[in-house]
Amino acid sequence: MKPAIDWSQLWYPGPTRVFSDDELARAGADRPSRTLVMVALFNYLFMGFMMLQAGPGAATAPLTLVLAGAGVLGGQVALRLWRRPSRRALLRGSAVGVAGLLLVLALAMRVHELPRGSDARAWVLSVFIALALLLTLGWWFVAVYRAHQIEARLREQAEQARALAMAGQLAAAQIQPHFLYNTLAALQHWVQAKDDRAAPMLAALTGFLRATLPLFNRPRLALGDEAAAVREYLEVMRLRLGDRLRYTLAIEPAAAHAQVPPGLLLTLVENAVEHGVTPMLSGAEIAVRARTEAGRLVLEVQDGGPGLAPGAADGVGLANSRTRLAQAFGDRATLGLDNAAGGGCIARITAPLETA
Amino acid sequence: MNTAPVTALIADDEEAPRAQLAAALAQAWPGLQLVAQCANGVDAWDAFLEHEPQVCFLDIRMPGMSGIDVARRIDGRVPVVFVTAFGDHALAAFDAGAVDYVMKPVDPTRLAQAVERVRPRLAARTGAPAAATLDPAALQALLAQLAGNVRRPAPLQVIQAGVGKEVRLIRVEEVVYFEADSRYTRVVYESPTGGGDALIRTPLKELLAQLDEAQFWQVHRSVIVNQRHIASAVRVDEGQMHLVLRGRPETLPVSRHFQALFKGQ
Repeated sequence: MKPAIDWSQLWYPGPTRVFSDDELARAGADRPSRTLVMVALFNYLFMGFMMLQAGPGAATAPLTLVLAGAGVLGGQVALRLWRRPSRRALLRGSAVGVAGLLLVLALAMRVHELPRGSDARAWVLSVFIALALLLTLGWWFVAVYRAHQIEARLREQAEQARALAMAGQLAAAQIQPHFLYNTLAALQHWVQAKDDRAAPMLAALTGFLRATLPLFNRPRLALGDEAAAVREYLEVMRLRLGDRLRYTLAIEPAAAHAQVPPGLLLTLVENAVEHGVTPMLSGAEIAVRARTEAGRLVLEVQDGGPGLAPGAADGVGLANSRTRLAQAFGDRATLGLDNAAGGGCIARITAPLETA
Repeated sequence: MNTAPVTALIADDEEAPRAQLAAALAQAWPGLQLVAQCANGVDAWDAFLEHEPQVCFLDIRMPGMSGIDVARRIDGRVPVVFVTAFGDHALAAFDAGAVDYVMKPVDPTRLAQAVERVRPRLAARTGAPAAATLDPAALQALLAQLAGNVRRPAPLQVIQAGVGKEVRLIRVEEVVYFEADSRYTRVVYESPTGGGDALIRTPLKELLAQLDEAQFWQVHRSVIVNQRHIASAVRVDEGQMHLVLRGRPETLPVSRHFQALFKGQ
């Protein structure tokens, strides 16, 4: 769709976006760079010099005065527009500037009688027209440029905030608090009851935490490292659920070096335990498989649970996984959830095989 | 004064919290007799019918039937205390008081409070109704609302029964009644092409959770009947009732717990 033409720019030019004080404080508090000031000043002095060269010698002194005044006025208005680029400020600045120039022009015409058609009159008029154009165009440029700059910064800040929130969510999603809490509760009971399962449970939980905590701040990690965390997780759950959970983990050596976004496999396995094992009266088996196929990585998590409910939608975990897969591989990766042939549910990820 | 020990049932699908609750109860309620420790909702309901405990401590998330479903079936006959896991928000909407609950791992002080609240509501063993803090209809409404928050399996459509060398597919709506038969379940059905009966391996208590409650009524610990086939309920004498079925000679027993289904308005 082509954007519609904004006709209002003809009579009311300038940036349409109005920034709030808060937005300006966040993204527009900086001063113009010294380079920018130097370039503007140099151009203005060069223009002025050329005008003086083109005019009669007698006009040098008054014109220098006018140029200096226009320069100061131009600079002040430009600085205001820099701090708060808006159509309204641009209009007000331009009106004041042009009115000032007209006043000076009228004064000059009054003092020196310049006959119609004379060279002197043509020169004076062209100098004022050039000055008016220079100032208004310069101000327009400052306002538009600065508005774009602030807008871009605000957008960048919003994206950063979103990424940060997402990272926080992921961190929270990776070690589920209720998993930790319920595991610690079981552990506490077994320690008090002097149950022999306390020691292996503590070992598995420690292993899980050691393998999981470094996952957060890395964009990718080797599948083999993630599989280690998954193994410890399954071991903790097997101790808690007893013979209701059976599991197998088959990671091909070639697949173990594949780089994947962290937490992906773990999320699928957590889902399989929650929806495929715990709802079953006599429990179920979970099979985790990773292999390479025609230069691609294939990850599968299969459970022997009730299968997909008709019309089931992605939960938070799965939706997160899709987002992260897309962030890492774009549309070169897929995540599918299906009913398995022998009952239960199978989650399958295919992704490009990339090694570090 | 009744000196017989108070009986209780506890249910949790994980062994450690179940054992922890049992240990905590032994402290908070000396003399309480645990008559059943169950690992899922299906077993909990069956054990309730079998042992008739005076108080139940139920985990919410359990396979087969949730603790809330079990509580709905118990229907205020005895006090129920829910035992919820950390992060389980199913009960968060309710102030303590409407529904009794304790968090896992069970804190001795909190459990002692729950026990103090439950004690005055205990039914006498003679079978007098318990003094409920909440009227039964309100409790049912609360539990129904809670049950909406807990996932349950899709209702069963077709039953596969092996008869000799063939596998018969019986549509659930054609079933007249189910009857527990030691480790099996006898399915009696009528279809346009003829009826019959077949044995299936699924225990009755597991079938119960997969059937539509409105259509299939449990009338006895070992009988579930399709209500469309009930002709009448006959009170034989004090505490005894049986069902007469449409067009069938056999009668089905209705146990004491389920006689309220047939009030005769």
